[in-house]
Amino acid sequence: MNTLNSSSAPAAGEYAGDEVAAIVLDPGYSTIRAGFAGEDVPKSVCPSFYGQIDSDSGSQYLFGENAIHTPSSNLQIKNYWGSDGIVEDWDTAAKVWEYAITSRLTGARAGDPAKNGLNDGPKENGNGDAMEVEMETIENQEKPLEESPLLMTEPGWNPTKAREKAIEIAMEEWGTPAFYLQKTGVLAAFASGKASGIIIDVGASHTSVTPVLDGMVLKKGVQKSPLAGNFVSNQIRLGFKQSQPEIPLTPHYLVKSKTPVDAGTPAQAIYKTFNIPPTDSFRHYQEERVLTEYKESVVEIWPGPGRLSNGTNDEIAKSMPGRPFEMPDGWNQVFGVDRFRAAEGLFDASAAITDDANPRPKDEHTLPRLVQAAVQQVDADQRPLLLQNIVVTGGSTLLYKLGDRLNYEINALYPSTRNKLIAPGPVVERKYAAWIGGSILASLGSFHQLWISKKEYEEHGANIVEKRCR
Amino acid sequence: MASGRDVRDMLGLPMGGDGQKSAVQKRAKAAAPVRRIQGVAREVAALYGERPPPVAVYEEKKAYRAKRQNQGPAKKWVQQPFVNQARSDGLVLKHWRRKPTTAPPVQDGEDTPMEDGESAEPYIENSADFLKYSIQVDLPTFTDEEYDAYLRSDDWSREETDYLFEVVRDYSYRWAVIWDRYDYQPANRSHLTQETVNGDASQALAALPFAPPKQRTVEDLKARFYHISAKLMKLRIPEMQMDAEQYTLYETLSKFNPELEGNRKLLAAALMNRSMDEVKEEEFLLAELQRINMAANRLDAEREELRARLEHPSANQQVSAGLASFTSSQALQALFSQLFAQDRSKKRASGGGTGPSRISLNTNDLIQTPSSANAQLSAAARRQSMATNQSAQTPIRTLSPQQEYRYNVSTHDRLTSGVTFGSDKLLKMRQAKSNVQTQKIAAALAELGVPDVVPLPTSKVADVFEQLIGRVGKLLDVRKVREKEEGESRVLAQMKERRGSSTQGGESGATSVEPQAKHEIPDSAEQTPGLDGDEDNDEDGDGDGDGDGDGDAEGEEDDEDAEGEEDSRVPSETVSRAASTAHKRSASVLSQGSVQSSKRARK
Ligand SMILES: Nc1ncnc2c1ncn2[C@@H]1O[C@H](COP(=O)(O)OP(=O)(O)OP(=O)(O)O)[C@@H](O)[C@H]1O
Ligand SMILES: [Mg+2]
Repeated sequence: MNTLNSSSAPAAGEYAGDEVAAIVLDPGYSTIRAGFAGEDVPKSVCPSFYGQIDSDSGSQYLFGENAIHTPSSNLQIKNYWGSDGIVEDWDTAAKVWEYAITSRLTGARAGDPAKNGLNDGPKENGNGDAMEVEMETIENQEKPLEESPLLMTEPGWNPTKAREKAIEIAMEEWGTPAFYLQKTGVLAAFASGKASGIIIDVGASHTSVTPVLDGMVLKKGVQKSPLAGNFVSNQIRLGFKQSQPEIPLTPHYLVKSKTPVDAGTPAQAIYKTFNIPPTDSFRHYQEERVLTEYKESVVEIWPGPGRLSNGTNDEIAKSMPGRPFEMPDGWNQVFGVDRFRAAEGLFDASAAITDDANPRPKDEHTLPRLVQAAVQQVDADQRPLLLQNIVVTGGSTLLYKLGDRLNYEINALYPSTRNKLIAPGPVVERKYAAWIGGSILASLGSFHQLWISKKEYEEHGANIVEKRCR
Repeated sequence: MASGRDVRDMLGLPMGGDGQKSAVQKRAKAAAPVRRIQGVAREVAALYGERPPPVAVYEEKKAYRAKRQNQGPAKKWVQQPFVNQARSDGLVLKHWRRKPTTAPPVQDGEDTPMEDGESAEPYIENSADFLKYSIQVDLPTFTDEEYDAYLRSDDWSREETDYLFEVVRDYSYRWAVIWDRYDYQPANRSHLTQETVNGDASQALAALPFAPPKQRTVEDLKARFYHISAKLMKLRIPEMQMDAEQYTLYETLSKFNPELEGNRKLLAAALMNRSMDEVKEEEFLLAELQRINMAANRLDAEREELRARLEHPSANQQVSAGLASFTSSQALQALFSQLFAQDRSKKRASGGGTGPSRISLNTNDLIQTPSSANAQLSAAARRQSMATNQSAQTPIRTLSPQQEYRYNVSTHDRLTSGVTFGSDKLLKMRQAKSNVQTQKIAAALAELGVPDVVPLPTSKVADVFEQLIGRVGKLLDVRKVREKEEGESRVLAQMKERRGSSTQGGESGATSVEPQAKHEIPDSAEQTPGLDGDEDNDEDGDGDGDGDGDGDAEGEEDDEDAEGEEDSRVPSETVSRAASTAHKRSASVLSQGSVQSSKRARK
């Protein structure tokens, strides 16, 4: 938006934009993305995990990146999402979302504070740096979104109840003047400049494959599976546990100081001690951060041809140079072929690491099968078109070489069509594709006729969302 | 361009007005590079010399944005509330607009400047910028009466039809989406909610006149929609009055065939779902085909070139046929003689037959390898002496018929060259054109008690034998005709029997035909079985193919070949050659057959 300067308005025909300071909210299992439409990255990215401290006087909630990483007794880390990508705990969801919006966006803004009208109401006490937003503070405000239309994203299989709940929260709790719900798949396609395509979204809790035609999701084709980022994390954990000797997974908060050690030798670190140690959920969440780091820097996907287990591929993988990784306590090792095994389960269910508690994933949940199932449900005439626009998005698609493997698998499935993978290079575009698409959509002048206005909502009730947001 | 000036300079002519102009040009030119290489160090620029720099130097004039003129205090912007004309609910949103000033120039034409926007009640802009994007699709409409009269269908209820139209409108004819979202619940959705609100869903179900919904394919939906559209179109505009465009639309609508479409889609899907192997195979085959085509083209070109280079002998024969034109032995024969003649002429050109030639098919060459002028001379002398002897003998004595008879003297109009055995002549007569015929002749002769080898085959015996053979031939012909006629009459009789009429007419008819056909039919009857052999012998001597005349035909072919060879050779030979040939023939007369066969083997 730096093209705008104070002396000249953008030419009307330059782009069909018409910015109305809409807010785009893209909640995901791992993070919530929120920001103003028309910007190119979400200003506010805050974790979907929240802290809860139960005490006699009731529960205290901690939201935001800064609040939930401090170890304290009784701190539980929770997530409002259900396992299948549908919000489970609506009350907290609304709070976390509201935090994501108000903490960075509608709070005291650096811009022209006299004009935006937000500051007219009772003052929010400096939300920009709030570590904890307490219930009372929120209730002090009038309505947080009185000024801004809200575009929210939803997964392709969102049930009617969840959609109605979303508009209820937006209209009644936040007082937004206008609201719209759009599917993440469509938005991710828009972010890549496509109106039609197949969107492969590998997030944290689930992977989804969404066929989109002319900006509309083909509902019959939507596929989802639980094999995504969390699954990969879990695979890494299992791999650590099953390796000989077991690889210790120590989160940062436990380490007071460390000294360098040789690869493979036990760590020499001084650990912190706690009177009342934080809960398991806290530790799990902290471990997850280490694992994400591991995913980012070590895990690699066998790029094909064939699967990792095919023929001599295993041998080839073994002969590739390893990658070092150091745990927060100083323990370190070079990971060889193991780093290929962690994510192979995404493509080949039989290659997944299993134990008693973690059974083998289903074959039809692997990525190639999802794509196949999705394409199968689309009208035969449209299939080649969709296969030419395969948009890859979601944080877990950043796994090294995932694009190559996907390309190989899809070409093996459909050797006779022209298959084109569209995987934006920049990390931000990959992770926030749905939000960016929403940002584009909500800043288009022609979009403003689609909003569900407060008046319409009051007239027709929450069910209007079914009619209008198709 | 400087030449004019140079000439003038040399001739000492005044430069005139031209001089100044070019000087100006020159200065301009000199100035240009200086300006061009701005930003390049002077030393580096000097390295370029006079020539243009090796890389195109992109001259960016606007390296820096023009300095912003200070236009007074910063312009004010306001969040301008606006209503979108495409909306009916009057939703007010705000977008940033330049605060209207007293000065007229406002970029956006549509927001009329307000003098005192803030003091009065807020001005709300009425925005029509994006009205053009609010598009409603055209749908055919019909009344209840029309539906009842024309559009009823056994398969579709009125409710579902309405639902279909609604969905088509909602998704603007995107059939793939329509099919995807098509989810007709027997009671329409809005009805359903109403009825569930009323609490008697069961009653709603009971009131349904139609069975629960069935799975509809895209083709079903399209077929119904197109069908209705076409009907309505016809109702609104009679076919006669449609213009061309309307009529083609009407045609496509009314001719939609769901089965065909469905099959096409199945095929398309099958094409897409081909396995890697199949695709590979197809690719491979296509590549192979291309390769073969290319190889064939190359080969053709090479052959063409080779042929051109060989100045091949039968230029007037069909070149395109290539080797195919040499399949017949006669053609081969012609080719052979041609090659032979060429070879000969070449040899002669290169200075006499002093060595065995490359193509030493010539029997003469083989015989007279130590060929020398002497030998040739003596051969010529001998031949001459022989000729004089013959010419001296014949006219001297005239014999009386008795003597002639006694001494067995015969006169011939024309003597065939060479000496033959009388027995050979007899033997030859036994041979017919086909094997079967030969066998038949042999059988007939055996029946008559004529021995295989006739002792003393004098010319008289030969004459008599010839007559005999002629008669035997006739006999055999007649026999054959009889057999044929008998067969025919049998067939006719059977046909007659089958018809149930009397057999008399058929018999008599057959017999009455017989004598007439006697002379006519033998030829044709003889020719028909041996037709192939016959023609082959005559035309190309290739007797293969019909087992009947096989051996015989080949035997004859041998003879003909040999003779043809000699015949064709003789005229092209020089006198001396001819003499030597005659000599050779007289020498080898006894073993003619063997020589011929060995020649063939060599060939
Ligand atoms: N560089 C990376 N390499 C591998 N994995 C990564 C990387 N960055 C993030 N991830 C993983 O991506 C996941 C988060 O992706 P994303 O933000 O798309 O999910 P989400 O949208 O919040 O979740 P969901 O779509 O399931 O609701 C996390 O599991 C994280 O571990
Ligand atoms: Mg996501």
